[in-house]
Amino acid sequence: MSLLDQVRVLLDQAIAFDRDQRLIEARRRVDEPLRVAIAGKVKAGKSTLLNALVGEELAPTDAGECTRIVTWYADGRTYAVTAYLNDGTAEQRPFTRRGGAIEISLGRPAEDVEHLEVRVPSSRLRQHTLIDTPGIASLSTDVSLRTMAFLEAEGERAAQTDAVIYLLRHMHGSDVRFLESFHGDGLSSGTPVNAVGVLSRADEIGGCRLDAMEAAGRVATRYASDERLRRLCPVVVPVAGLLGAAGATLREEEYRILAAIAAEPMDQVVELLLTADRFAASGAQRARVLQRLGLFGVRLSIRLIREKSVTDSAALAKALTDHSGIDRLREVFAAQFVGRSEVLKARSALAVLDECLPPGSPLAADAERIRASAHEFVELRLLHQLRSGRLPGTDEQLAEMDLLLGGAGGAAYSRLGLPSDAAGGRIAAAAQEALVRWQNIAEHPFSPRELKTAARAAARSCEGILVQNQQG
Amino acid sequence: MKVGAGRLVTGVLAELADARALAEAAQRADLVQRLDEAVGRLRADDATVAVVGEFKQGKSTLVNALVRTDICPVDSDIVTAVPTILRYGRPPQAFLQVPQEDGGLASVPVGFEELPRHIAEGDKAGVRAVEVRLDRRLLGAGLSIIDTPGVGGLDSAQGNLTLGALALAGAALFVTDSAQELTAPEVEFLRRAMERCPRAFCVLTKTDLYPEWRRMVEINQGHLQRAGLDVPIVAVSSFLRMRAQARDDTALNDESGFPKLVELLRRDVLGAAAENKLVAARAELRFVVAQLRERVDAEQVVAAAPEAAPEVVRRYAEKSKRSAWLAGGSWQTVLGDGIQDLSADVEHDLRERLRIMVRRGEDLLGESDPRETWRDFQAWAQREAAAAAVDNLMLLVTRTEQLAHDVAERFGLEYDSLDVDLPAPELALRKVDELDVSFQKSGLQQFLGAFTAARVTYGGFYMLGAVGTFFSFAFAAPLGLLAGMTLGRRMIKSERERQVQQRRLQAKAELRRYVDDVGFHVGRDCREATRRTQRFLRDEFSARAQAVERSAASTAAAVREIAELPPEQRRERAGVLAEQRRRLDRLAA
Repeated sequence: MSLLDQVRVLLDQAIAFDRDQRLIEARRRVDEPLRVAIAGKVKAGKSTLLNALVGEELAPTDAGECTRIVTWYADGRTYAVTAYLNDGTAEQRPFTRRGGAIEISLGRPAEDVEHLEVRVPSSRLRQHTLIDTPGIASLSTDVSLRTMAFLEAEGERAAQTDAVIYLLRHMHGSDVRFLESFHGDGLSSGTPVNAVGVLSRADEIGGCRLDAMEAAGRVATRYASDERLRRLCPVVVPVAGLLGAAGATLREEEYRILAAIAAEPMDQVVELLLTADRFAASGAQRARVLQRLGLFGVRLSIRLIREKSVTDSAALAKALTDHSGIDRLREVFAAQFVGRSEVLKARSALAVLDECLPPGSPLAADAERIRASAHEFVELRLLHQLRSGRLPGTDEQLAEMDLLLGGAGGAAYSRLGLPSDAAGGRIAAAAQEALVRWQNIAEHPFSPRELKTAARAAARSCEGILVQNQQG
Repeated sequence: MKVGAGRLVTGVLAELADARALAEAAQRADLVQRLDEAVGRLRADDATVAVVGEFKQGKSTLVNALVRTDICPVDSDIVTAVPTILRYGRPPQAFLQVPQEDGGLASVPVGFEELPRHIAEGDKAGVRAVEVRLDRRLLGAGLSIIDTPGVGGLDSAQGNLTLGALALAGAALFVTDSAQELTAPEVEFLRRAMERCPRAFCVLTKTDLYPEWRRMVEINQGHLQRAGLDVPIVAVSSFLRMRAQARDDTALNDESGFPKLVELLRRDVLGAAAENKLVAARAELRFVVAQLRERVDAEQVVAAAPEAAPEVVRRYAEKSKRSAWLAGGSWQTVLGDGIQDLSADVEHDLRERLRIMVRRGEDLLGESDPRETWRDFQAWAQREAAAAAVDNLMLLVTRTEQLAHDVAERFGLEYDSLDVDLPAPELALRKVDELDVSFQKSGLQQFLGAFTAARVTYGGFYMLGAVGTFFSFAFAAPLGLLAGMTLGRRMIKSERERQVQQRRLQAKAELRRYVDDVGFHVGRDCREATRRTQRFLRDEFSARAQAVERSAASTAAAVREIAELPPEQRRERAGVLAEQRRRLDRLAA
């Protein structure tokens, strides 16, 4: 019986015992897509990134602070908006779409709305629901507080999300504090595996020059090796959200405008692209293109067209998407969240059970048993220990263990550090080899005790890969 | 405006020179020296503007563009780690400020090619600040600029240190970029900054990258207004300014928005600094003129009515005797008591802050396993320690200010009580009394002159040191190999708890050691500052007391002399006196 099945059974038993609304909610949530929140400081580019991830202009964006209510974007048959109010009721709300962005007429003060749910027919939302949140560190304090209240697993209350994409522009004290609070169930049991860091607005680093993305890559690498941040979110991906969103929704007409500029004499183009002001002033259409692509996007597109690297809008859209880093984020997303959605969901459900069940009851003991015995949880705990630098061992040992425990993704090849097209035989051989190695470490009399425990778990993961490999 | 201020300075300089000639004629070398020092202070260029803000907002680029240089290293990743002070100097030179054994700072010359490394690494090598002297017009006009490390959050240790340094700056440029509106921590920082440095400007950078920067100005204006902060916003593009410079393109320079910023710095920062200096110079002038006039007044009276001479001489001899007490007068008691109260209060304040910090720290440690939270805990402790040190210093500055006023007030009272009533009312020039009244009113400021509490307190250093460091030390090791094999499960559990307890004790001991350390260093700095204050005030007022005594003595002597002159020489002398009197009146006006 899989981990999630065990949790389902347990939840059903608990509901039969006590029809607590929270349990019913948790039971429903087990069968729903994974909930991933997009969080970050005000104007970090959360809505833009959401649009880029879905590949559609959904969340309204603006130069000023824009998102003021927590908004869920979930898969649905048709577009629909539901407002969940603070008094517990829900109602359908009318909405209009302007340039794609969904504008909702609330019909009441924003304070009364607990959250909004937007249903969107999109395959990209099938495996996970994305949640757009108002920025923290906002000057409208109530807006910041909402996000904190929503994401924090405060005290006994379990968090409403399973995972978080955290947008950093530059690392600040308030970012670190936020991430800490997201692991609110105490650093000892919290895990860094349900958070991915995004270095957002990467195209603007270093003054929108054409090497901006490389510079962003360097910054992201440095952040990922920062000990404090690493413990909270081990992966940091540089993403230019605006580029990603534009790449997904580029229009033929926009390509024509850009191509026309690219055809002008070089020195004129340089003068035009010197500042955003000049470019915007050269025509209303161009101003709109600038708004959609950003200065870096415009500069990049024009260079690509001039160099004849792209010759039509489809190619340009692809190039913009490539540069945006959004694909890499999707990969990380798939490895860190989607591949782990079972264990993340189980974890959330168990947190609700802890909250509702009286301690010491047989059901609570069952929940504890699942938590203690499920190998997936063991892996999560070990990963956390390892990443917070509390496991003894050489650097190579630790790096290998990080992979084996699923640190870079749950698939067999990524656990073994093999290319994604590795054949079954090669995987089996590598897993066998790793199994022997880790068993030796586990049994070696001079290994530190904590390393032994970890090595046993790593060996267990190897066995899991072997079994899976035989079956599949 | 600059021209206006310049003309005012020239005027005051001429007045100072005139007063100097009079003092010299009266053979008052002590007053001549006072005037020379006043001239020196008036000419000194010391309007400092601190560039502050979160990191990666373009502070260093702004400084570079402002003075047209590339001294401040700019990189998309690396950040400024130590404050860089730019001031005027020819030829260009660079120095590192390195702390010495005795707590002072030494300037070590350094090559320009090595600067970027020091500015980016800074603290690791023990460098406290970097000073660069450049030959630039803006700097030559008397401005010095401090590029500070990004604060990384209002409540970071660095943020607090930056706030501490602001007390010395004449103005603050708060830098934020056009990519996003002001955040709550930024506005909070600005608010706290303005408590220390009321003259602040908000500079919106990177306008070349964002088409919506005009809206950002509007939004930020709204935010500042709602926060009740009166801070003008200037939008600039450092990129365009650099480009304009490379091409010598005035139109492009105008487009960059910099001319407005430069104008603001010249008018509001330099202008205001010049104004303060003028006020101080005028105060000094008044003191000297009052000293000189005393003698001329008395001489005039006796010249007109020689029969009054014995009485005038008697009064001034009396005054001279009483003036001798002024040097050791009750203002000395006020100063002595005040210094004692001040240092006791400031020390108590620091102890109290640190005590609360230890208590809160121990609570925090009690709730967690230090092995897990040690790094965060260190950051917390450094933040708290920096905040405690900075607030403590601020208390010292306010108290010093208050003490200086108290002493000046008492000194003024005693000084006034020395006043001699001159006889012969029918001959004394009546209208002079009106002028006398205006003298009394500005008495306090007259004595405080160029005193600035922050400057005396900080002893001329712009930056507080980093607030010490924690020892990096290993916590008690996890359960060893043998224990793991021999102890049962329960034993392991209790052993683990014991170890957590042990780690907590270890961490608490380290916290106390750290706080002791901070307390020692900050306490020493405060004691130093207090001693500086005491010495400064004592010397200042003693010198004035001596000047007053000399005035009385020389008046008595002059009166005696003039009474003994034959009548026509006395008349001649009266003419000279009338002329001197006119000059002094003009200076006092």
